[in-house]
Parts: sequence; structure tokens; C-alpha cells
Amino acid sequence: MAATSVASAPSVSATSSIDQALADRLAAIVGARRVLFRPSELLTYTADALPSYFKQPALAVFPGTRDEVVAVVRELAACGVPFVPRGAGTGLSGGALADGVVLVGLNRLTRVISVDPDNMMATVEPGVVNVALSRAVGAYGLHYAPDPSSQAACTIGGNVAENAGGPHCLKYGVTTNHILALEVILPSGEIVTLGGTDGENEGYDLVGAFVGSEGCFGIALAITVRLSRNPEGVRTLLADFMSIDAAAQTVSAIVATGIIPAALEMIDQATIRAVESSIYAAGYPTDAAAALLIELDGAIAGLEHDVETVETLCRANGARTVRIARDEVERTRLWQGRKKAFGAMGRVSSHLVVQDAVVPRTKLPEVLAQIHRVSQQNRVKVCNVFHAGDGNLHPNIAYDASDADETARVHVAMREIMTLCVDAGGTITGEHGVGLDKIAYMELIFSPESLAAMCTLREVFDPERRSNPGKVVPVHSCREWHMSPAARPSASLA
Amino acid sequence: MSTPVVVPRERALPDSPLAKVQAGIDACVHCGFCLQACPTYLTLEDENDSPRGRIVLMRSLLEGTLTPTNDSVETHIARCLGCRACETVCPSGVPYGHLLEATRATLARSRPIPRIARAILAVFSRRSLLSLAMFGGRVMRATGIARLMSGLPGRIGFAMAMLTSTDRASSSSDEPGEYLSRGNGTRGNVSLLTGCVMEGLFAGTNAATERTLAVNDYLVARPAGQVCCGALHAHAGDDEAACELARSNIAAFEREQCDYVCVNAAGCGAMMKEYGHLFADDPEWHERAKTLSAKVRDVTELLSVAGPKRGGSVPIRVAYDAPCHLLHAQRVSSPPLDVLRAIPDLELVPLVESDVCCGSAGIYNLVEPETSNVVLDRKLENIEQTNADVVATGNPGCMMQIGAGLVRSGSRKSTVHLVDLLDRSYRRAARDSDGKRGGRAK
Repeated sequence: MAATSVASAPSVSATSSIDQALADRLAAIVGARRVLFRPSELLTYTADALPSYFKQPALAVFPGTRDEVVAVVRELAACGVPFVPRGAGTGLSGGALADGVVLVGLNRLTRVISVDPDNMMATVEPGVVNVALSRAVGAYGLHYAPDPSSQAACTIGGNVAENAGGPHCLKYGVTTNHILALEVILPSGEIVTLGGTDGENEGYDLVGAFVGSEGCFGIALAITVRLSRNPEGVRTLLADFMSIDAAAQTVSAIVATGIIPAALEMIDQATIRAVESSIYAAGYPTDAAAALLIELDGAIAGLEHDVETVETLCRANGARTVRIARDEVERTRLWQGRKKAFGAMGRVSSHLVVQDAVVPRTKLPEVLAQIHRVSQQNRVKVCNVFHAGDGNLHPNIAYDASDADETARVHVAMREIMTLCVDAGGTITGEHGVGLDKIAYMELIFSPESLAAMCTLREVFDPERRSNPGKVVPVHSCREWHMSPAARPSASLA
Repeated sequence: MSTPVVVPRERALPDSPLAKVQAGIDACVHCGFCLQACPTYLTLEDENDSPRGRIVLMRSLLEGTLTPTNDSVETHIARCLGCRACETVCPSGVPYGHLLEATRATLARSRPIPRIARAILAVFSRRSLLSLAMFGGRVMRATGIARLMSGLPGRIGFAMAMLTSTDRASSSSDEPGEYLSRGNGTRGNVSLLTGCVMEGLFAGTNAATERTLAVNDYLVARPAGQVCCGALHAHAGDDEAACELARSNIAAFEREQCDYVCVNAAGCGAMMKEYGHLFADDPEWHERAKTLSAKVRDVTELLSVAGPKRGGSVPIRVAYDAPCHLLHAQRVSSPPLDVLRAIPDLELVPLVESDVCCGSAGIYNLVEPETSNVVLDRKLENIEQTNADVVATGNPGCMMQIGAGLVRSGSRKSTVHLVDLLDRSYRRAARDSDGKRGGRAK
């Protein structure tokens, strides 16, 4: 991560109204300490967890209560200033970067507002850390199921914005499957409630529209989540293979049995080695070409049978060893290794890009072989660690950004990988969001009409396009974008 | 369209201590996994007061975007406790403690270390001044002046409360029962670092350390010529003074020819284990420093290897608060718990965030009182939520910081070094067997 010096020029005309007077008005709401206006205080907010993009906000404001968020958004609405909501800054798509506009940090809103164990739900503020929510409801034998690898740091608000996934989403579904209701402040300052806690709602699924809107539709003030009961039994297996192909075949074989693992993760050799040299060393065999981390859970009855079936399948497909975690300590260790793998990439090189493509599971062996070829052709170091069960790939490319030639090769390789995934029938993002990083690839999978339809949807929530400007949809490719909303023909998603 | 940027690699501070740790800075990929481990981020809620925020500032110094005299740099680097909790969660292995010390040493070249810090460091550098200060402290403690003043606002009142708490802490020597502190000596020769504050204000704990080690079959000596370990100086960026003190200690401990150097103050132990790193660029001292560092053990490491032997019943509820420089810097996690679990009838009660700093951090509580208090308040809240009778820990700074907080809040709880609890257990065993057989135990 670096290039704090590469702050690009503010892109929005409203920037001129982001001045000391605005800073003072915001300080009157949140307190002087909670408004950062000096460039030296804003440096750390120029990046999220994808340290390849840097955009300097003009100002950052950190409300501490719901009412302060409301007042801040209304102040920004009154003067027409664009803003970017940010959680913990652990996103992997550059989605929370504010290019010369106002950054609204929501990390201070960490209150669990209510827990309803009987109805298995909880209402939280957006800054509650994912793992803190599960901790808060653990005493009831409940947990919050979506578990992004960054769960020790990322916030529920950020999870909602990105429709975050995680290893256990294979069986339990991604964020959108776990959000019941949202209280949202629209960029205009109007407060609306989406969804509800009493079952299926009449009318359109507006929660579904908001979850994954990447901060472009407004800010969630309160989030009501569905909680899940802790499974009666859990078994975690680690199988290692001498070829990536064999590991990929095993994934298909397991899924074909009809057993739905709670998680089915693949880790390649380069990733194994990075993890094993870190404090999260989990005992993954460093000479294996790939390892599968497989978790089975559910009622105790039948669980052992599933474990036997999966173990047999692994061996039949060429697994060298299959290890079953003996206890919770070993199970935690196996998972910590997987979940911290992304952070361990700093051991490979100083900079990092991460992809998030999804391919049909049956194409995994073929796509992985192609990625390997691309990495060799471009002489870049690709480490694969991904959710194999749902075909969600995370090729990490670690590189040295002070090397212009290597940086250029990385960029070429990224685009080639993305293209080959799309050609294989896949798509560009599984769970990290489009943000800034994948905006260039949107045209690979969407027609101008589809992109225009997205812009139209956005206008419902944010007609002035002030919330998280410049993200998700490449505006230049929306054919009708420059026409007035009234003159625009209706468009449908392709 | 956005593309990843090419990062220029000019060095703004080519010969600085910071430039030497560039590789450590490069290891940070900004993942943010450190945020929830950082006490100043948790309490101040600004990423500039988090490890990754501070690393951005460090990098900016090297890139020349910010200068060493920049106020933001000064503020946020000074506000770091140096607890190194970020290191035990960092997947990339960023050596944050080293980066922090290198940054402070770099900044110290451009602007002087704060006056109050310099005054304290000067005292710790000179044995005569230190003895005088510790004597003064004991007088204030014994006469009750410290207790009287412990309610005063500001630094003075807090310092007096710290002093007062040391009276409550050294309670094991009040325990009746004496035991013959001798084992068979087969576990090796141990040289004890007596320490500045430990010997000055916790002499009873030093004596308890010697007794409990002896019972567990170590031969213990106190090498002459030892001085302050230099940790406070290194943390503040005064690496010259730190090196000078370290050289004296290396020479003093070499003369003893011991198997282990035992330290019962986590901060000092962490420092001595890093003497090798301190002299990385000094061919004359590097090997000697490394050899000494390899022998350094926390007292609980030595005791846990030996069992430790069981003593008598100590039926109290104990919350263990891990000293950061034991848990995070030395990565010693289970030995202290082994020691506590070996004490019959002692009930170990869970303490939420026992792995988070208490805000003591060497002289931090006197230099950055405001932040230190916010961090301490969170610790005190967690302690009050337990039903513990005492808080056991293994570092004088933590004992005094938490102790002062408890004194000032009127709590009935107090702090204790866990070696004192083991010592108490041995005394009770001796007393019990005295009662039965009329003779001495062990």
C-alpha cells in the first residue's frame, strides 16, 4: 500500500463548496475532533483494503449516533455536496474511496440496538463489526451466518452495501438472505424503512434492491438481521492434493452427491506457503498443490455418514491425506489460516490486487488452468484462494508497485483473467462489489441498456447522484444517461 | 477508467532509522485486520490512531509527502501505546513494534522528545537518581502522603494513586508462613533482572520470585552491575540511551554465566529479548546481544516448565490481565495461566478484553494522560463486570496503572503479581504443615 502522494484531482464540481465553513457546520453536529479536514489527517482514508487505488477525500466526518448521521446527511443535502459512506475500510473493490468529496465514516455506530432471540433476529447500527454481532448473540446459541474473511474487522453496514459473502454462504446464503429490514436515510435526507420483520412484505423487495447497492442508494441507520441457530454438530476436513485439477474435480464430485457442505474452500500452494509462514499457520501441507477445506454441519444424526462419504470422495479423487479437526481449537486454526490468507499476501510482495470472479463450478479445472497460463505469460505471481463450492474465485496478485513494468503486467493479467472467466460463462464479482476496481469490466457483461436501467434504478433512491459518485456503473457507457429522466425510455435488465 | 497506480519509490529520509525498516512497512497491505486489536482505535475511533493509519503516516514520511515536523505525524505516533497487539493479529507479519521505535527515533532527530518524558528517562538512566526517586516514593507510600494525594486531579494525583496501589499489591509478604526456598537446583542457573520499579516498589515480589524459582529447582542469583533494561528509552525514540543501558546489562549478565535470565516485568523481558535486534547494525555487540536475548525468560515461562510445584490452598477469585509485552511482544500466553491454575482452590474468572492494553505502556500514562485514561476506563469497566477479588498480571506498569484506577474509583479489588499468589500458596502449604507436624515444609 502506498502512493499516498497520488491523490487525484477532485472530480465533482460541488467540491468547491467543501470548505472550512462546511467543516465548521459539520463540527457543530459531531464535534470538532470528528471532522478531519487537513490533508495529513486524511491520508489513511485514501484507501480501503485494496491497496492499489488511492483517492483523497476533501473532508471526512465521523458521526457517533444515528441522529448525528441524519443531521450530517441533511447538511450535505442542503449544500448539494456528494459523499461516500465508509464502514471499516476493509472492502476489496475501492468502493469506499471518496475522490475529492466528503467521506462519512460509520465506524463509530457500534451499538447492538436489540436482540430478539425467540424470533432469531437482531437490530444493529451499521458500524457493528461482523464478528461482534455473533459474539453478542452467542449466549443464545445463535450466530450471524454470513462470514466474510474480514469478519474480525468489517462492519454489518459495509456487508449490506456490498452484499458480502463468505465461506459459509455456500449453504446459508449471502448477506441479502439475512437482512429483514433496513432503516435508511436517503441522500436527500429523507428517512425510509425498507422491509419488515413480519415475514414476506407486500410489494417490491426493496431490501433486496438496497443490499448490494454499494453505498449508492443512501446510508443504513439500523439493520435488522436474521440470526441462525448454531448447528448441532460441525466437522471440518482438510484434504490436500498434488494437483489443482484433482482438487477441482473433488469439488464437483462432492457437490454431485447432493451433500451441501457448510463451506468448501480451495487454497493453492502459493497461498498455503504465505499462510504457513504467518502467525496463522494452520498446518496446511506446504508441498501440496492445493488443499480443500471442507466443513459439514447439521444434526449429529447423519453427519458422520456425510463425513465418511466426503472423505471417500476426496481419496477417490486423489487426495494425499484427509485430516479431520479433532476439536474446536484445531477447527479454529484451520479456519483462521483460510480467513487471514488475504492479509498474508503482504509476505509475497508489497502490493496486491484481488479478483472476485465467479465461474460455473463445472468449469473450475479449466478456468484454473487458464489462469495459471495467464500468470506465466505475464510473469506475475497469482495466488488462488477461493470459495470453490460456489465457483467464486479470488486470484490474488501480489506485486511491487514501484516497478512500473510489473504493475503494467499485473494490469494486463487481471484483465485477461476477468475476460476468460466471463468467456467461461461467469461474471466479474461474487461478493466484493464493483466499486472502482471492476467498473471497467461492467461493459464485459452488461449492455448499455442494462447499465442505463441500473442508473434509472439508482435515481429512485438518489436522483442527484450524490451518494458514492463514480462507482459501480460506468456512466459513460449508459447510452441514455445524459438525457433527462423524463425523456429516457424504460429499459430492462439484460 | 481506474487502473492501479505506479508508486514512486523515492526516499525522503535516506539515512533515518525509519528507512532501515522499509521492508516492514511494505509488508502492510492495509487489510485492516489490526483495527479491532488496537486499544487507541477502539477508544478514539479514528484510523489515524490505528496501526494501519500510523503505518500510512510512516510511509508518507519516507515518500516525503509528510515531514517529521508535521503535527499529525507527531500526534498520532505519540498516541500509540506500543502494546503491539496488532502484531499478534497481523497475517503479513508487520513488525509494528520495530516500525514504531524507528519512527520515534527518526522524529526525535527533528524535534526533541517531550520534556516530561526526557525528565523521566534521565532518572531511569542514572542509578543514583533512580534510587533516590524510588526511596522518595517509598517514603510517600509509607507515610500515607501518597494515599492522601491520590484523589488529586491530573498527573500528580494519578501518580500518587499508582504509588498507593503498590502498597496493596505487595501483599504476599504480609502472609504468615515461611518456607525453605530451596529445591535441588537441577533446572539450571538463573540470573534475575531486579529491575528499576520492581526493586524500587515491588521488592517483595522480587523476593517472591527468587523463592518460588528456588522451590522449583532453579539456582537464583542477582548479578551485580545490572541497570535499567532501556525499554522506556527505546519506546520513546532515545535509542542511544537504550543501547548504552543494554551494553551495561549485556556485560553484567555475561559475567554470571547463567543458563537463563529471569525477568518478572513483562516490559523489561520483551526489551531484553530484543537486544539482538537493537544491535543489528553493530558488529561488535550483535552476537553478544543475541546470545543474551536467547537466555531471557519471563518468570512464568521458567515456573510453568517446572510445573510449577503445588502449594497450599488460596481460595480467591482471580482475573488475569495479560501484559501486552508478555502476550503480544513476547508471545507468552499460556505460562501465566499454568502458574495460576497450579494454585489449589484459586478460581480463575474470565476477563473480557484481557488481551487489550490497560493504557500504562511504560511512561505513556504520564506523557499522554488523556488517552491513557480513556483506555484505562474501558479496562476498569471490564474488571468491574467480573466477580474477581484481585487482578493478577505480570508487569509493574500494568499493576500500577490498573491499581491506580481501582484506588481512585474506590474499588475493593486490587492488583497483584501472579508470582506473589504462587508465593502465598507456598507459604500456606508451609503454615499448614507446620501446624500438623511442627516442622518446616519443603
